Amino acid sequence: MLKRPSSRRRSNHSEVNVNLVPMLDALVTMISFLMYTMAFLSLTMVESPLPMVSSEENQQQLKEPPLQLTLTVNENDLLIWSPFDRIPQTTIPNTTDKDGNPTPDFLKLHDALLEIKKQFPNETKLVLMPKAYSSYDRIIGLIDASQHLEKTDPVIVVKNKETGVDEPAKTLFSEVVFGNLLGDDK
Amino acid sequence: MAFRKSIRSRRGRRKIHKDFELQLTSMMDILVIILVFLLKSYSTSTNSFSTVPGIKLPISKTDNSPPDSLHLIITPQAITFESNRIVEFVQTADALNGNEPKYDLKTEDTDENGMRIKLLFSALEEARNKAEALRQKSPARDKDGNPLPFDGILAIQADKAVKYDILRKVMYTAGAAQFRVFRMLAMKQDQ
Repeated sequence: MLKRPSSRRRSNHSEVNVNLVPMLDALVTMISFLMYTMAFLSLTMVESPLPMVSSEENQQQLKEPPLQLTLTVNENDLLIWSPFDRIPQTTIPNTTDKDGNPTPDFLKLHDALLEIKKQFPNETKLVLMPKAYSSYDRIIGLIDASQHLEKTDPVIVVKNKETGVDEPAKTLFSEVVFGNLLGDDK
Repeated sequence: MAFRKSIRSRRGRRKIHKDFELQLTSMMDILVIILVFLLKSYSTSTNSFSTVPGIKLPISKTDNSPPDSLHLIITPQAITFESNRIVEFVQTADALNGNEPKYDLKTEDTDENGMRIKLLFSALEEARNKAEALRQKSPARDKDGNPLPFDGILAIQADKAVKYDILRKVMYTAGAAQFRVFRMLAMKQDQ
């Protein structure tokens, strides 16, 4: 509503100073608290169970030989194979990183494993066999490529064992087990 | 001279008006921006994993926050378990030839064909016994009334340059001490 000209003239224009000091105190306290309790090092984990030897009886009970998907790390390439010949062997030659050093081709490995997952959607295990000289960095990279499904990857439908309902797979091969812990390679 | 200066400065100080007010608005703006940034990137961690200086962790795409468990750190120079330095590696002769220095375990530190690390095995067994004793005393029981079994989870934090040869000896030793699950820690990749 418009004010009358006479009342406008009478309006009080005195300057109001807000006391910002308590607010400043509160902000400084909050920033200190946040910085003190903040986790600057954001850790994540990849889980690997200790490999178990299955009994012969168990193996005989299986109707068909298991896939036992195996990833062997060689000096110049990666080899994807199955000891029971359920899949054709795939060799992925190493590529070079940005410094020109040879490194496993994680992208091609991921794509190859994705194709195998499409064939065996309910398979969750992968046996990883790195060489003694493989670095922890490489091993984490290989497990990442074997487990993690990218947002751009095609949807793979798997059957939920508990509910029996079809649902999109959340991981590629979630159970990565080290197959040569006893040290049968150099 | 110094005495004169101090008098001058004291006189100068008196010139400040009593009704002088510090302008806090711009400072408030800065603090609010910092606060918003901190709130946006705020993340807390439920675990108490510490790290050692100089360790370089690999980067992983996974998004699994590691829960608290027994913690083992492998640097290129030593193995630390629950903040106690257990084993120190020896430098191999490669460093003398100008190559990249390599570290390995001393022969007397291992047994079972060089696969089991003796001191680490003792430390892990001790930790397992302690955990089992705690579970015996704990009121938490399974459906048959027995104490909950030892979970056997070991979090491994290793430098990115550590070789699998060392890593598998650690896992072999842990397996011998009835640890069944290994959680390998890495740094989360920024999304």
